[in-house]
Amino acid sequence: MANTAIPEVMPDLEREEKSKSQSEREPGYLVICWDDPVNLMDYVTHVFRTVFGWQKPKAEFHMLQVHKQGKSVLTRESLEKAEHYVHQLQKYSLHATMERDE
Amino acid sequence: MRLLRVENGHYIFRLGKGERELLAVVLGLYPVIPPAHQPISKSTAIANKTNQHLLDEALAEQRSENKKLAASFLADARRFQETESSTRMTMAPAEIEWLLQVLNDIHVGSWILAGEPDEDSPGLIPSEKNARHIGAMELARWFQLDLLAALNQKP
Repeated sequence: MANTAIPEVMPDLEREEKSKSQSEREPGYLVICWDDPVNLMDYVTHVFRTVFGWQKPKAEFHMLQVHKQGKSVLTRESLEKAEHYVHQLQKYSLHATMERDE
Repeated sequence: MRLLRVENGHYIFRLGKGERELLAVVLGLYPVIPPAHQPISKSTAIANKTNQHLLDEALAEQRSENKKLAASFLADARRFQETESSTRMTMAPAEIEWLLQVLNDIHVGSWILAGEPDEDSPGLIPSEKNARHIGAMELARWFQLDLLAALNQKP
């Protein structure tokens, strides 16, 4: 991912994850964004905010995860919802796919 | 291109001499990403289970619509106001969102056509073969950066 910005704040992701009930977690498909050397970091953050309605710190956290770890799991959803999100992300030309949560 | 002000929810940009023409040249390239380039999953089993062809169709339809919108965007006389030394361009937030999408297709698509070079790789140095694509990629990127900067400056 092409460099443009470094965020200062990390979101409270763990608390958010724990608050999800078991029913919300099954069955599941992971929506994953993969790194590439072309998309701008600010653009990726902007797209995450637009598609998922996230606040800037959470969007920047996932953008940096993509940049540093090669990918980021953005959300875990049903088949239909995961398809919807992948479609939205691909409309913005991000490298996104959905994979089964084993 | 730089943001002058936000007025009644509309963004007013100043385009330097020649920038309007450059924007027209870049938008004229749209769409650049090859059709059916983006698989919905890395897993064939999941791809078979989903509506990959519907996704491809939806993206193709969207590109066709965006191409028409790009032509009307550039032809809209109320959007562009010429002064002696520059051009004023007015855009609603939704139009900025749309333009970012279109520019990123050109940015990413030109990178694909240039052979998907890594950052700082020799592939990013223009050659006779890829100069056109590298040039388009850089131009789209610069317009994107200006739009993103404008959104971040929003009062």
